[in-house]
Amino acid sequence: MSRSVWKGPYVDGYLLKKAEKVREGGRSEVIKTWSRRSTILPQFVGLTFGVYNGKKHIPVLISEDMIGHKFGEFSPTRTYYGHGADKRARRG
Amino acid sequence: MADNATSEHTRKILVGRVGAAHGLRGQVRINSFTASPLSIADYSPLLTDRDGLTLTITKSRLAKNVVIAKLKGIDDRTSAEILNGVELFVPRNKLPEPDNEDEFLHVDLIGLEARLDTGEVLGEVITVANYGAGDLLEVRKSGSETVLLPFTRAVVPEINIKDGFLLIVLPVEIEEEKER
Repeated sequence: MSRSVWKGPYVDGYLLKKAEKVREGGRSEVIKTWSRRSTILPQFVGLTFGVYNGKKHIPVLISEDMIGHKFGEFSPTRTYYGHGADKRARRG
Repeated sequence: MADNATSEHTRKILVGRVGAAHGLRGQVRINSFTASPLSIADYSPLLTDRDGLTLTITKSRLAKNVVIAKLKGIDDRTSAEILNGVELFVPRNKLPEPDNEDEFLHVDLIGLEARLDTGEVLGEVITVANYGAGDLLEVRKSGSETVLLPFTRAVVPEINIKDGFLLIVLPVEIEEEKER
């Protein structure tokens, strides 16, 4: 069952405050967080969070497409490396 | 230096592995490691880990997550079964060059030395990952400790593949303050 709409999206309060502080400062800092359950809100777009995966903090640069998802979705707890072959990486 | 550049250009890149035989007419299952699984056929003839053996894919199709391929000169199941486990390679110079200056092949980035802007060596790039929020470089520091860095211009301002290093500007990390 999905979360009731009247409650609004769940987000840990301290995360909101920290994001606001970093945004006001205009600095490019990585906000380390353990709150995988928090929803990504529009005011987080452009910020980078280090989302804990149980072992380390995975850098997650928030884009518009991620709004409404949870932080944990972008920080897998199990990793598979695979092979490079002809795969490409784009520098953002 | 010229020798290094030549060997770098002809370096063999693993693009797939032959699996079990498929059917009676010499088709094989190939586990493709390319970005688009079927594009492995475009790199034919493929080098292998067996001396003197090269394989050419004449026909291929996708079945779930493996490529079913017909290979030149392999016409029966017995010949196809012999190929089980063969690793397929292409020389680096056969891979298409990236379209713009901010695009890099994973194989070019892996193995580069990560240097800090102070000149200190941070470690070596061991993998390029993408978990849905942009590309990440995983750098192995001394020992087994690794660090994940966003692959952005701010963090990686300079990449010098020829000289085998990239420059890292470590991002400042701040911890959230929990209010209890």
